[in-house]
Amino acid sequence: MVKVADALEEELRAIFSGDSPWVTIVWDDPVNLQSYVTYVFMELFGYSKPKATELMLQVHNEGKAIVSTGSREEMEHDVARLHEYGLWATLQRGDQAI
Amino acid sequence: MGDSAAWGSGNLMTATDGFKRHGKDTYVAQFSDSEREVLLNLCEQIIELLAERTDHGHDDPLAAMVGITSHDSPPEDEVLHRLLPNAYADDVDAAEFRRYTESTLRGKKQAHAISIRMGLKSSPEGDIELDHDGANAWLGGLNDIRLALGVRLKIENNNYEHLELLAPDDPLRGVYAVYSWLGWLQETLLDALMDEIVE
Repeated sequence: MVKVADALEEELRAIFSGDSPWVTIVWDDPVNLQSYVTYVFMELFGYSKPKATELMLQVHNEGKAIVSTGSREEMEHDVARLHEYGLWATLQRGDQAI
Repeated sequence: MGDSAAWGSGNLMTATDGFKRHGKDTYVAQFSDSEREVLLNLCEQIIELLAERTDHGHDDPLAAMVGITSHDSPPEDEVLHRLLPNAYADDVDAAEFRRYTESTLRGKKQAHAISIRMGLKSSPEGDIELDHDGANAWLGGLNDIRLALGVRLKIENNNYEHLELLAPDDPLRGVYAVYSWLGWLQETLLDALMDEIVE
């Protein structure tokens, strides 16, 4: 019960603070190497190799993938770090059509 | 995404074996004089390219001190636009974000290229030894150079035909060879780094 209450509280707080989740999207590009994109996901987000590889393949095959979720400020930080390493990334509200 | 399969150490133009891991967290490579020169030259060019824009008049010096710039439009140059992309699809949000972050991003990208340049400058013999952070700087710097060359070469997904068919005396042919070599070099460093990561 405690866990559920915590989750609810978190959700309500997010609603009232206007802080609904934002997402970071990485887009496919023709230059970045697959192994490089996988490595950057592991290095920046601490993802396991299987998870990073799965996200990389989603970018490669579907043209884009959501790589992280959080507050707008957190996503701006993630996008800035991805840009530093040359990945093509944008952020937007989680409920917006990609 | 791109691939580096078109290049290998068997190619005539490469002298180096690329990066190898030594011990727990050290990555080494040995470059020939000409490879060292090419890398140094590319680093100089990318550092210069990333220098602050002069096309927007004078920045407010106080704002500049904290990294805020007067320009918020994306760079007109295609290469710079790829290196410093918009963070939002929405133009207003993208401009606001750029105003507060572009200067920092330029600095970080320059730092990667400067790290490569310093390593090469301090080793006339072309011996490079990197720790983990150094390896990340090389990866990011090599990647920016590849992105820049990729724009100029009009690299598109799975379409290298226009580059394979270039005349032997076309200057772009040499650029394409360097682009391919950099991809191969980056891949050797990635192999060395990923090798140690236990799944």
